[in-house]
Amino acid sequence: MSCEDVIDIEVPTGQIRLVIEASLDWEKGTTGNNQTIKLSTSTPYYQTQDIPSVTGASVKVTNADTNQEFIFTDQNNGTYTISNFVPILGNTYNLEVIYNEEIYVATETLLTVPEINNVTQSLEGGFDDELLEVNVYFDDPVDQDNFYLFSFYEQGDLFANLEDLSDEFLNGNEIHNFFEKDEDEDNNQAPFQAGDVVDIQLFAISERYYNFTRLLIEQYYGGGDPFSSTAAELRGNCINQTNDENYAYGYFRVTEFVKTSYTFQ
Amino acid sequence: MKHLILGFCLIVSSLLLAQEKYSIRGTIKDFTNGETLLGATVFLKGTTNGAVTNEYGFYSITAAKGNYTVLISYIGYESISREIQLNADQTLNIELKESATNLNEVVIVADEPEQISIKKPQMSVSKLNAGTIKQMPAVLGEVDVIKSIQMLPGVTNNGEGSSGFNVRGGAVDQNLVLLDEAIIYNTSHFFGFFSVFNADAIKDIKLYKGDIPAKFGGRVSSVLDVRQKDGNNKAFNVNGGIGLISSRLAVEGPIVKDKGSFLIAGRTSYAHLFMKGIEDIKDDKISFYDLNLKTNYEINKNNRVYLSGYFGRDIFNLSKIIENNYGNATANLRWNHIFNDKLFSNLSLIYSKYDYQIILDFIELDWVADIKNYNIKYDFKYYLSDKLKLEFGASGISYKLNPGEVSPTSQTSPINYLKLDQKRAFEGGLYVSAEHQITNKLTAQYGLRYSSFSRLGGQSISNYSNNQPVVYNSELDIYERGEVTSETFFDKRESIQHYDNFEPRLGLSYQLNEVSSIKASLTRSTQYLHLLSNTSSVTPLDVWTTSGKYIKPQRSTQYAIGYYKNFKDNTYALELETYYKAIDNRIDYIDGSDLIGNNTIETEILNGEARAYGLEVLLRKNKGKFTGWLAYTLSKSEQRTLGGQAGGPGINNGNWYNTPYDRTHDISLTGIYKLNDKWSFSSNLVFQTGRPVTYPNGQYNYEGFSIATFSNRNEDRLPAYHRLDISATYTPNNKPDKRWKGEWVFGIYNLYNRKNAASITFNQNDQTGLNEATRISIFGLIPSVTYNFKF
Repeated sequence: MSCEDVIDIEVPTGQIRLVIEASLDWEKGTTGNNQTIKLSTSTPYYQTQDIPSVTGASVKVTNADTNQEFIFTDQNNGTYTISNFVPILGNTYNLEVIYNEEIYVATETLLTVPEINNVTQSLEGGFDDELLEVNVYFDDPVDQDNFYLFSFYEQGDLFANLEDLSDEFLNGNEIHNFFEKDEDEDNNQAPFQAGDVVDIQLFAISERYYNFTRLLIEQYYGGGDPFSSTAAELRGNCINQTNDENYAYGYFRVTEFVKTSYTFQ
Repeated sequence: MKHLILGFCLIVSSLLLAQEKYSIRGTIKDFTNGETLLGATVFLKGTTNGAVTNEYGFYSITAAKGNYTVLISYIGYESISREIQLNADQTLNIELKESATNLNEVVIVADEPEQISIKKPQMSVSKLNAGTIKQMPAVLGEVDVIKSIQMLPGVTNNGEGSSGFNVRGGAVDQNLVLLDEAIIYNTSHFFGFFSVFNADAIKDIKLYKGDIPAKFGGRVSSVLDVRQKDGNNKAFNVNGGIGLISSRLAVEGPIVKDKGSFLIAGRTSYAHLFMKGIEDIKDDKISFYDLNLKTNYEINKNNRVYLSGYFGRDIFNLSKIIENNYGNATANLRWNHIFNDKLFSNLSLIYSKYDYQIILDFIELDWVADIKNYNIKYDFKYYLSDKLKLEFGASGISYKLNPGEVSPTSQTSPINYLKLDQKRAFEGGLYVSAEHQITNKLTAQYGLRYSSFSRLGGQSISNYSNNQPVVYNSELDIYERGEVTSETFFDKRESIQHYDNFEPRLGLSYQLNEVSSIKASLTRSTQYLHLLSNTSSVTPLDVWTTSGKYIKPQRSTQYAIGYYKNFKDNTYALELETYYKAIDNRIDYIDGSDLIGNNTIETEILNGEARAYGLEVLLRKNKGKFTGWLAYTLSKSEQRTLGGQAGGPGINNGNWYNTPYDRTHDISLTGIYKLNDKWSFSSNLVFQTGRPVTYPNGQYNYEGFSIATFSNRNEDRLPAYHRLDISATYTPNNKPDKRWKGEWVFGIYNLYNRKNAASITFNQNDQTGLNEATRISIFGLIPSVTYNFKF
């Protein structure tokens, strides 16, 4: 009965702001020495050109527990990199970005992620009994509130699929999550079939980042449909200490993650 | 003060110094089926003395001794006059015959019949009878109460596929919806495409948009008073209709002729039967059904009992993914007792319940929630004199809310059992109200309602650090949940929080001449129950909550003034009203609030205020081959939510912002044309300013995705909503002596196939990576055909 069509509709243009994409993600079992922070600016909504990168900023991360400083090097393409970062579980890190003589700071704590117990495929589970899905199992620790971010990415796709999860209704249990693709003629999406490869990442995230990413995911996939909550500007954790009106978008997160790939049989 | 005393003396003396007076009382009914007629006029010819029948068809008139001609009239019925000699109290029961030409003619009643409506202080009320509603074009062939009131000025809703309706810029939960006095918590079937009211079971509806009589309380925007038919007490009678989506059947008849009758009406959809035949959706199910029951018995001329009930259910099942069912159930036992010629009473015992269940198979989760209440109500009407009528009464409502219970659906489910705190509360009400004819031209209706509300114990309440359930984070300029420091347990006998409110109601009518008047009113009202919804559409899964320690009662004050004129021998009527409404303690949700499964809603909300004002014009044509009305509303509805206790500037930086119900312009045109005995046509034309929404105002790249940034809350608007519906009714040769009467109704909804946006979503195309806007429109052009029958 209902119908969907893409229309041209004018939207307003708000203030252009600095975007700090500081995701220090440490894969379990690696050194985590190599890290990248990206700086860019926001654009009008229907922007079609490349994202404007920000160069000439100074980027520094400090371990608040050890006072060790990590200076990131400007690659002059919007990325700032380091090759000797030291991640320590449970430690708190401070980010400092200086750009256009304004100082942006943020704080985040590195939490531990459980191992993935098992990855399987099935037909019966998931949304549709006739479509293949990949299942991921892991144990949620019982003694605390835990928050997770999943990324499922089928090799060859343009985008990964993000999902947030809290253990609110699941505390202390073996948690099962799945990813299934539906047929979609509009965008040539096909269900999973034998030979498809899916990259799976599971991040342990802080409650505050969970609150941020939950809304980000809801707004990204919902896009203002009638059953999502009223859209509102997302505020990350980066504070402009010089001029709080000129706040930045993005987030400073420090996570541990596990990663695996699955090939459908 | 001096004037007040003087005025009081005048009132008292006018009552005491009266001549020898007697009363005449009775019940006005329909001749063919014995249904009581509410709103019929009984008049003493040549005087200004008269009365309008109440909800039970009862009237009483007091007049000086003498000979009178009593004129009894009701729109659509032949008037009757009787000569009486009033030298003792007497009873005059009258049965009116429907006008011969009325079988298909439509009758639109604004308020009460002419002479009275001009004169009565009651304003801001719209009355539609089932006959009118049935003549209006309807979507999918199902006539609909909620859709038809949206054709009146000041009434809108959030578009196709959203539940409920909005009155004068108010929220859906600010409407008190009563079906035979029982509270209906969700008025929708099929997520708002149909309403829960079966037009075959309904006698009439009254919508109070303001100037709410003192006998009603508990909501701040409006009262929708829906009355079920009593059932034919003269003969058995069946009527029904067969449509493409749903069918209905109503059976009524006498239990004891002229003494008691019953009505059973049912409706069901059968779309799911067709769905079974389609491979892709054979496991899906979407259906609804409902059942209306009513029976009454006249024990003797002073006592009558009624029992009425409603049960409805919606079932929605998307193969193995989501299973959802919801519905209302109500019951009401009433006892009408006439103490004497001047004192009428009604005692009601009422139960109502709304519940829903949602099963998510893929995560093996089962969720149930409900709200139920028991209500006892005793109402009196005292016809003190021809100048003064009193209404008074008391009510008590006991609420029990189960906001949510989560359980695993299997042994292996990872879901832990969780039951949110049950909430208990008691709402009491006491009122007295007078309708007072001060002079021949000036009539007043003044009353006072006292309401009290106790949130009862039996649960723990969280205490927060600095008594702040929500805390402003000044660094990030966002609101966050407060820190729970302790919990206080309240015993079942204890009251967690108590509120009291006095609610004055005042209406004045000044008659300029025989055909025109001006009226003014003031209504104060309090609301202790709130529907929690942070989505732009109300859904069946939204949860009701009570006022308590952290959520204060909503309080509204509404002022209205109006001008009313009948012209061309009452063929046309014009109503002009303007209003201003201010609401305290209107909650709104902090950015990113999460209401699902939340035991501590106070951590997601801020207390704010709302205001609405507007101008409404209604021009009606009441008589002739062509009837109908044009309604125009110019209005504004906004809200402001300051930080208050939580600190900070508040939502939207503390500035006023549009409510989702703000519509600058709202135009509705309804026309009904009766060509001949076989054919009649009707049409609706609707135009509304688009709904306020929040659009993106930029984007940035984060983790490989294009993330939208947003402008201020509700600063943008969807494109304007408009559509045209038409319908034609064909009545084949119905011989008057034939019992079976049938008619075909052909309809087209949205004739020019306007793609009205139910919403516009903004997404990044996952093939091109570009941002785009997608419009979702629910109904394009929809033809329908229904066959209605009666025997």
